[in-house]
Amino acid sequence: MPTMIAALIYLQYHSVRNRLVSRFKRLKQPKYLVGAIVGGLYFYFYFFRYLFHGFGGPPAANLVVSPEHRQLFELGGALLLFIIVLLAWMIPHERAALTFTEAEVAFLFPAPITRRTLIHFKLLRSQLRIFFSVLLLTLFSRRFGGNVWIHAFGWWLILSTLNLHLLGSSFVRTLMLDRGISNRLRRLLVFGLALAVAGAVWVWAKRTLPALGPADTANLNATLDYAQRVLTAGPALYLLYPFRLVVRPFFAPDAAAFFAALPPVLLIFLLHYLWVIYSDVAFEEASLEASQKLAARVAAVRAGNWRGVKKNQKARRPWFRLSATGPPATALFWKNLIGVGQVFSVRLWIIIAVVMVIFGFVLAGQAQNHGISMVAAFCVAFALGYSLLLGPQLLRLDFRNDLPLADILKTFPMRGWQIALGEILAPVAVLAAFQWLLLLFGAGLVFCLPVKPEALFLAIACGAAFLLPVLDVLLMLIPNAAVLLFPSWIQTGRDSPRGVEATGQRLIFALGQMLVLLLALLPAAAAFTGIFFLFYFTLGPSVAVPVASLAATLVLAAEAGFGVMLLGKLFERFDVTEGQTS
Amino acid sequence: MVQVEGLTKLYGEFVAVNELSFVVQPGEVMGLIGPNGAGKTTTLRCLAGIIPSTHGTVRVGGHDILRDPIAAKKQLAFFTDEPRLFDYLTVWQHLNFVARIYQVADYEKTGRELLEELEIANKRDALPGELSRGMKQKLAIACGLLHSPKVIYFDEPLTGLDPLGIRRMKDSILKRAHAGAAIIISSHLLHLVQEICSRLLILKNGLKVVDGTLEAVTRKFSEQPGDANLEEIFFRATSDTGTSPPAVPPPLPH
Repeated sequence: MPTMIAALIYLQYHSVRNRLVSRFKRLKQPKYLVGAIVGGLYFYFYFFRYLFHGFGGPPAANLVVSPEHRQLFELGGALLLFIIVLLAWMIPHERAALTFTEAEVAFLFPAPITRRTLIHFKLLRSQLRIFFSVLLLTLFSRRFGGNVWIHAFGWWLILSTLNLHLLGSSFVRTLMLDRGISNRLRRLLVFGLALAVAGAVWVWAKRTLPALGPADTANLNATLDYAQRVLTAGPALYLLYPFRLVVRPFFAPDAAAFFAALPPVLLIFLLHYLWVIYSDVAFEEASLEASQKLAARVAAVRAGNWRGVKKNQKARRPWFRLSATGPPATALFWKNLIGVGQVFSVRLWIIIAVVMVIFGFVLAGQAQNHGISMVAAFCVAFALGYSLLLGPQLLRLDFRNDLPLADILKTFPMRGWQIALGEILAPVAVLAAFQWLLLLFGAGLVFCLPVKPEALFLAIACGAAFLLPVLDVLLMLIPNAAVLLFPSWIQTGRDSPRGVEATGQRLIFALGQMLVLLLALLPAAAAFTGIFFLFYFTLGPSVAVPVASLAATLVLAAEAGFGVMLLGKLFERFDVTEGQTS
Repeated sequence: MVQVEGLTKLYGEFVAVNELSFVVQPGEVMGLIGPNGAGKTTTLRCLAGIIPSTHGTVRVGGHDILRDPIAAKKQLAFFTDEPRLFDYLTVWQHLNFVARIYQVADYEKTGRELLEELEIANKRDALPGELSRGMKQKLAIACGLLHSPKVIYFDEPLTGLDPLGIRRMKDSILKRAHAGAAIIISSHLLHLVQEICSRLLILKNGLKVVDGTLEAVTRKFSEQPGDANLEEIFFRATSDTGTSPPAVPPPLPH
């Protein structure tokens, strides 16, 4: 066995080393070097400089935590860990599958290696992921003060123990399935147990502690104090105690407290390790299947096909009938609209609606106005703003999606600008339709709100209705042009970049896109301002706003037309081999 | 139908295709072969207008693929080694889409016939993800043939097909050639080339080393009449010494 482990360590060591070496080698290319510098600066200023306190770096926000608050944090951490563990027992339905790559399955499964050694290999490899997570979490939590080493070891203990527990629970789940206990029965059992425990805590609290009054619930400190009393006595004390032991070293105020908290958590860690290692569960078949799925997902993502990751894709009906003759660009619009239906499911729209309503309530609450109309108005404003910000990122049914099929698109008997127009139309249409709905809703709200004069607000909505679609075209043109100009920087090529340099590249892109948008908006803003003041003093703001918006729309439309022609030229010049061999 | 003159493709200083010239007439099937990295796929991509050539001209049905790409592309179909499909369009939606791109007014009748011929009519409403590799290949072929192209390029057309699929593909290629299409096939499967190609073009390091009818090429590379098959020709034409590698050992006794 030690020989085998040595071979597996060799595999892991050289895989990581070669990956790092290839990353360093590609820094010879300016695009990666510039990305690495910008990414490095970002990580330094956002995380690392807090580590260098005493060497010229700024001090971390050294929050002084009282013992009571420390206990509260510990309880919160333990509760969170408890919920994660509970969900791990309740939600998953697959058999235990240690995730191996296809190459590892091909080499290791037929090799004379015991199952236990494979588990050790898996544990060893998971440590790499854990170390990286520990690094990031420590950099983050260190910003709030505390000892960096205590944070790092604390995080390592929590994540490693959790990792072992998740693995062990998956083995138990498999054993239960082998013994005829179905997933449904297991979920019922776990859910029933959780319900019983929650019931016991509730009954104990009801009988033992004084009830929370309305005044207490309005007071955050009183509520937290009550929660602390519930969780530190009675059944919750015993239930959360092992979880508190696991998180306690992380919250230790000094080295002495850390070492005092260490023995119990090490014992828990050791018990978990023995549990996992001595579980005799056949995971190979499920691992094989998982590795194939993983390979398919990786291949899909590397080919730029993020939807390839999605399971259970269903055929969608087209949004309109496509006749065989007419402008060919309509075919691309028609095709991408079908694709939009695949990506934006009803569930996603519900999630968006729920988030909007929650934010609307929060904002309206801060405005000291609890009227439902005000909540809705905040929702509309919030959604409109974010549609401009997030819409072009979420709606990617354009060149960003079709670039892996660029060679096919290039065989079509179409001009570049026709392909460009067809590609961006679908996301623009969906975004504009969504925005118009919001505007319509917002216009209706004007009559329910105490805002005066209504005509001005309606004029603003009318102006926005002119401006938004052309603005959407511009917003879509920028990332599409970026993907054609720098295909290897965007996640469509086969070797999409990762790491610090990729973060830097994305930052450069975000800034670049913003700059281009601002430049594009300048002439439209000038036209708007000129026309607005021309009409403002003669016909008033209710006329000036829509007329000025119309003028700005025309300027933006001219820019958009020029942009589409330019995008078409870029596509005609786009070398498909560049997109594949970045 | 396909006229290529001085086609050259450079990647920086690397010469992928070097001064390639040839003509493929209607009804001809030309085999494009060569070792890995010879420039076959790059050549096909230049011929299809997917990538621009650095120098030289490509005419498809008399239209320059760079100067008049719309007219040239309307006449051709390019089949890649891996079927390239839109994963959210069903089989029939693919045909509908292609019909609009190529303005095929009567596509419904032709489309139905093609699906019948290719035996995927029962998969009309299936997404590519629900199709086997061979069925995807058939769908790609149906899409490519919908506008009755006069020029067809195949890049490794038999990849992933079962024996029956291979037979049907060969029949289909020959049927289109008999109907007057000019066909270029890039493949490593020399028996396929020998079986269905009437002409042969061998590339090596981007350069044309052999071009002619199959009979003429066989005559040229035979030391004695009939001693060279296509495999021998390939090795003699592409090896640095002009000789074949050592003979394959005899098969094991049953």
